[in-house]
Amino acid sequence: MATRDSLIQVTDLKKHYKGGAIKALDGVTVDINKGDVMAVIGPSGSGKSTFLRSLNLMEEPTGGAIIFNGVDLTKKKYQDESGKMVKLDIDSLRQKMGMVFQHFNLFPHMTILENMVLAPMKVKGMNREDAEKKALDLLERVGLKDRADAYPIQLSGGQKQRVAIVRALAMEPEVMLFDEPTSALDPEMVGEVLDVMKELAKEGMTMVVVTHEMGFAREVGNRVLFMADGKLMEQGTPEEIFEHPQNSRLKEFLAKVL
Amino acid sequence: MDQFVKWSNFSKIVPYAELFKEGILVTVMLSLFTVMIGFCLALVLALMRMSNVRPFRALGIDKNGHQRESGALAVISRFNPLEFLATAYVEILRSTPVIVQVFIIYFGVFGVIDLPSFKLLGFIKFDRFFPGVVALGMNSGAYLCEIIRAGIQSIDGGQTEASRSLGLTQVQTLRYVVLPQALKNILPAIANEFVVIIKESAITYTIGVQDIMSAVNAVKGATFVIVEPLLVATAVYFCLCFPTSKLIAYFERRMSHGDKR
Ligand SMILES: Nc1ncnc2c1ncn2[C@@H]1O[C@H](COP(=O)(O)OP(=O)(O)OP(=O)(O)O)[C@@H](O)[C@H]1O
Ligand SMILES: [Mg+2]
Repeated sequence: MATRDSLIQVTDLKKHYKGGAIKALDGVTVDINKGDVMAVIGPSGSGKSTFLRSLNLMEEPTGGAIIFNGVDLTKKKYQDESGKMVKLDIDSLRQKMGMVFQHFNLFPHMTILENMVLAPMKVKGMNREDAEKKALDLLERVGLKDRADAYPIQLSGGQKQRVAIVRALAMEPEVMLFDEPTSALDPEMVGEVLDVMKELAKEGMTMVVVTHEMGFAREVGNRVLFMADGKLMEQGTPEEIFEHPQNSRLKEFLAKVL
Repeated sequence: MDQFVKWSNFSKIVPYAELFKEGILVTVMLSLFTVMIGFCLALVLALMRMSNVRPFRALGIDKNGHQRESGALAVISRFNPLEFLATAYVEILRSTPVIVQVFIIYFGVFGVIDLPSFKLLGFIKFDRFFPGVVALGMNSGAYLCEIIRAGIQSIDGGQTEASRSLGLTQVQTLRYVVLPQALKNILPAIANEFVVIIKESAITYTIGVQDIMSAVNAVKGATFVIVEPLLVATAVYFCLCFPTSKLIAYFERRMSHGDKR
């Protein structure tokens, strides 16, 4: 159901490798609305990461369309309002989509604060003072203000991931993409990261979260996508997906993970 | 039978001590400049080899707009002229003797281009020193290129992805995220290249650079003793290279300690 508040419209998205021999994504169509917290679940190799990474063109799709801010990201050129053909500025679109990775990917040669201010300063042209103030505010929100001058190596996994989340938030993205943000964490640290994400959801951030945490998908997500074999097999509210699954692959999957 | 080494011959070298001192200075300066030029050249070569410039890209797309997987057109579409040039340069310089390269630069290139004949610091003949630096720098660039390339490739792809996902451009990503990490990793290898060049630069005495070897030659010409000045040169080269290598190894060990991620 496309609403007025649709933020990203994905149509028949395809990502094929080896001339079609491997179909990592095989025709996925979905609307992502403002404020959606969308959990993407499915067995390993089903194309969840590929789907997420296609949204900000970390992977270049081989077919279909992704409309974001009125622009089709899969086309190298598009027509602007005045009818002129302009080149797609992927860098400026990417800053509107924050991304959080399984392995944090903090920059190890920079302090936490430097990690946080790099993009706001270099991409948005903020001055250092403003960027640092903003960074410290964000760090405070995740309880890490006192670690601003530490290096990533000095932080625990959970702390690193919390920094990674606010580093992305510093760019004020319109949507946050998470690829298994808690899979590389020791079990006792999963909670602190999920708490930050719940907080974010409560504030109305649009989120797409690839996750193995069924509890999170159920509790925080307002929509759940189930993928298998590069296809979107079923989508619905957490209640529909977890209590009344229709698709046989989904039933099979849930039997295994729940 | 004559003795291999005569102690009395060493005293004949003493009047030429100044030449050896100047020679050491020239060798060290030559090597420093060489590594600097080599590094800059290598950085450009490495980026060329890793670039993604494909002028015939369009030929690889078939009628349906899909990427061709095989065939001549697919091969041509992947052709990157920058990469080709850089690779050819690296392979040619690594597969030919340094002395040939030095001679080509000195007699060939600077046989055509006239250099001003003044003296740096009062004793270094610029028109010999400069071609020597250029030739060795060009050679060193080929070797350092591979070191830099490996250094860049050793950085986890997640670093680039994180940077690009924040909106940084490819160039910004290279400059702020990838290169600082890569260069830190390859610093010991670059310092080692300096040691290699100290030894290899001995070859430039053949084009009249007044390095340590040329001091040996001067003593030989004036006094007809050769083995003793060579032993002095051996000691000098050893004293330059051995401690430097050990120092590098020490810092390399220390750096790898503090760098577990
Ligand atoms: N570069 C590539 N070349 C060929 N096949 C690939 C490539 N990248 C991904 N694939 C294939 O695409 C499919 C989907 O991969 P993807 O990483 O999206 O799965 P996933 O659902 O995220 O799995 P996981 O839960 O293990 O992370 C897999 O079968 C994978 O082998
Ligand atoms: Mg994945």
